[in-house]
Amino acid sequence: MTAASEQAAKRLRQPPPGRKPMVHRIFRADPATVRAALQFLRERFDGSAEDEVISKLELALAEVLNNICEHGTRHEAVRLGGRPHAPLIHLCVARHVGGIACAVTDDGRPLPASCLESHSLPWTGPPPQDAEAILLLPEGGFGWFLIQELTASLSYFREGRRNFLAFIVPVTEPLLTAGAAPQQGEGDQFSPNCSG
Amino acid sequence: MQLTLLPQPDGLTIRVDEKRLDAAIATAFKDSVRSMIAGGGPQVTLDLSGVDFLDSSGLGAVIAIYKAMPAGRTLTLAGLTPNVERVFQLTRMDTVLTIRKADPRQQDPQG
Repeated sequence: MTAASEQAAKRLRQPPPGRKPMVHRIFRADPATVRAALQFLRERFDGSAEDEVISKLELALAEVLNNICEHGTRHEAVRLGGRPHAPLIHLCVARHVGGIACAVTDDGRPLPASCLESHSLPWTGPPPQDAEAILLLPEGGFGWFLIQELTASLSYFREGRRNFLAFIVPVTEPLLTAGAAPQQGEGDQFSPNCSG
Repeated sequence: MQLTLLPQPDGLTIRVDEKRLDAAIATAFKDSVRSMIAGGGPQVTLDLSGVDFLDSSGLGAVIAIYKAMPAGRTLTLAGLTPNVERVFQLTRMDTVLTIRKADPRQQDPQG
């Protein structure tokens, strides 16, 4: 562990002002571990924002993590026992004023730049009328559209052997309690400063 | 994979007894539903009232089931919870698939 990441880990252990929830988990990319992480996240964050916001957070993260499971594995790098090397994911989620900040890093294959370009829906036409048209309906390609639809301030960089992806799920604060000064845009300033 | 097969006069209802239709079970879900549909009548209803989380893998599985419906059969989705409904709306798949509103009193007179 480098000094920088140690420092980042220390920051993560400190309770944020207002005791807002946060989650940090490290796990191998696999649909079952992703499900467990999302269920843990849901438990931790329930009640910290409107249910709709927590649901959007869960869906956005599910899409990001599923993509790592599906596309991140380096098939050329085989582990002992002949299994491919599933990426090791670091997930960090923190509730801030104005949003829920997410940072996801993994040591899988690089994210293609095209994923971060503006995504349109794979299908937007009128309902298909005949059997042939129905067969053309997409069964995938929704993931990055959903991620872009549900998040803000999406940013990505690759450093060394890791992908770093950060984004915010916006929260509209219903009421700010007296004395708590509104800190507009605090969430926007979040970035996973893992490189020090 | 927990699914309950409920025979109906005009077909069958498949109740999904899984809280999450996600990447962990999407393929098994698709295969199980397809094999259940093979033996039923013309009207197939997929009851999703017990599902509170659906991701794009689960959505893809539902679309695959729709695409694989045998000729002369119809697929209706019922009991969508708000989280599940959101995914269909965001992806516009609510305009393609037949979705029956959650209110059980609103039975479609056309069948």
